[in-house]
Amino acid sequence: MSRGRAMAALPPPRSTWDAINPLRMLGELSETRYWMYLLLLPSALLITAIVLFPTVYGFQLSFTEMRLNRPAGNGAFVGLKHYQRMLADPIFWLSLRNTAVWVTFSIVIEFVVGLVAALALNRNLPGGKILAVLILVPYFLPNVVAGNMWALMLDSRVGVVNDILVNIGLLDSYKAWFADPNTAMATAIFVEAWHSFPFFTLLIMAGLKGIPADLYKAADIDGAGAFAQLRLITLPMLRTIIAAAVILRVIGLVNSPDLLLILTQGGPGRSTQVLSLYAFQNAYSDFNFGYAGALSVVMFVLLMLFAWAYIRLSKVNQD
Amino acid sequence: MAQTRTGSNLIWNIVSYAVLIVLALLSIGPLLWMLLTSFKVDDDIVTRTMVYFPTRFTLENYIKLWNQSGYPVLVINSLVTTTLTVAICLFTGTIASYAFSRFNFPGRTPLMLGYLVVRMFPAVLMIIPLFIVMRNLGLFDTSLGLAVAYTSFLLPLFVWMLKGFFDAAPKELESAARIDGSTRIGAMFRIVIPIARNGLVATCVFVAIAAWNEYLFALMLTSSTGSRTWPVGLQLMVGEFQLPWGMLAAGGIISILPVIVLFALVQRVMVAGITAGAVKG
Repeated sequence: MSRGRAMAALPPPRSTWDAINPLRMLGELSETRYWMYLLLLPSALLITAIVLFPTVYGFQLSFTEMRLNRPAGNGAFVGLKHYQRMLADPIFWLSLRNTAVWVTFSIVIEFVVGLVAALALNRNLPGGKILAVLILVPYFLPNVVAGNMWALMLDSRVGVVNDILVNIGLLDSYKAWFADPNTAMATAIFVEAWHSFPFFTLLIMAGLKGIPADLYKAADIDGAGAFAQLRLITLPMLRTIIAAAVILRVIGLVNSPDLLLILTQGGPGRSTQVLSLYAFQNAYSDFNFGYAGALSVVMFVLLMLFAWAYIRLSKVNQD
Repeated sequence: MAQTRTGSNLIWNIVSYAVLIVLALLSIGPLLWMLLTSFKVDDDIVTRTMVYFPTRFTLENYIKLWNQSGYPVLVINSLVTTTLTVAICLFTGTIASYAFSRFNFPGRTPLMLGYLVVRMFPAVLMIIPLFIVMRNLGLFDTSLGLAVAYTSFLLPLFVWMLKGFFDAAPKELESAARIDGSTRIGAMFRIVIPIARNGLVATCVFVAIAAWNEYLFALMLTSSTGSRTWPVGLQLMVGEFQLPWGMLAAGGIISILPVIVLFALVQRVMVAGITAGAVKG
């Protein structure tokens, strides 16, 4: 037995080509115990270089003076200066409030519409597959196209939505939806919800497939109606997936200013100014990288707190 | 009792159809309107009374866009950036995803969580340092620099989504190949990757669509026509031309055409992959 193993461990005779054949060397390397680490190395190095390093650098920037348009004093350590300025900055507080409105209303609408669509699609009606594809399309559209498309349709002079609303008598005259501080945020939230509700539909549909049909049969026998089944079976069974979807969507909504940048640039009168947009404008228009960095650090910390609290809460509810 | 069951089932089916048809119209309607607008002459777009169907069907907007706005260059830049992004993800992400799917090793769970958590980092927080780093490395305003920046949020997504497809590929064939004397790397390239190829294609398409659509990084990290992508160029037209609705619509249609085609081709596998990744995440 031990003789046999010793025989097998003898290296086979090698030609010179064999000794330098890269394929053979890779093959042998793949048999070592470090193989999986080697497989992970390229992506881990890349992520370290382009995610972790910039993030640490970004934190550091938030404590330094960095204005590309004013080279004097760049890179100097200024301690908490940017954070102190933030506390006294009314635009920061306004942006924070707007972010809360933007995220809360978008999430609620996207979740409700996404859930309703998923429940309807889950009945597997004839033609449902085609309807599902049509409903998922907005999610794959670029922000630039989705934003400008709605800007065209909501335009105060050529907007077709205005025309339809006037024709059915809901509006007296064409309205400049994005120019009125009272409607700009609500309209932007509508466009955002239109763009992203399919995300919830997608995830909830996947979750619905995992709920055993027996549960509903049992509920039917017990005489539970459709809404009772939704409340007592569907939603509890979907809890994990809903939590994951909400967290991912909140991250997206807090972090990406794209759609508002295209639709309103934060206006009119800062009525749609949100934190991510404010940070981006500080960096892109004013080249004030230090302050922009501090704003994004605050955003990051708030997101982390939210994710932690949300996960804690949904775990508490589970027990 | 059976009577009421069928009755309520029928009602819910009707309600479901109503909901789905309204939502599908809402989803597709704006796209159709943009398509119609792209075929309209300016007089049909800016009018006193709304013109729903073009009085004169024209390709003017497409021709103007293609010849006057430098759109072909933007599209080529986007193609280059998207290809580079997919290539980087493919080369570094596939093997990482395979390692997560097939091996148990110390540090696996924290590493996988790490790949998930990086998605939480605010784009703005990374854009600023990336801007400085790219400028120092000479990668600012290049397609390669932009593609590398895209990798920061698309590579983790790629790894997680592909892992779902690798997990679904049966392990038995791989074991059989190993017993027949294949090395681990041989089994990976000759057995597992071919089995998971549909998933691999779908994952690549998902990453390609995201890179093709991206706006914010492109706005910050490009400054000239040498690397500017189409979303940035299209948005710049809003300021550059007077009332460019027809051209904007034409640009929108041209740019989303590849997205729609790719989505239609792989939507079934891709949807399964997105949801699988998210469910486990």
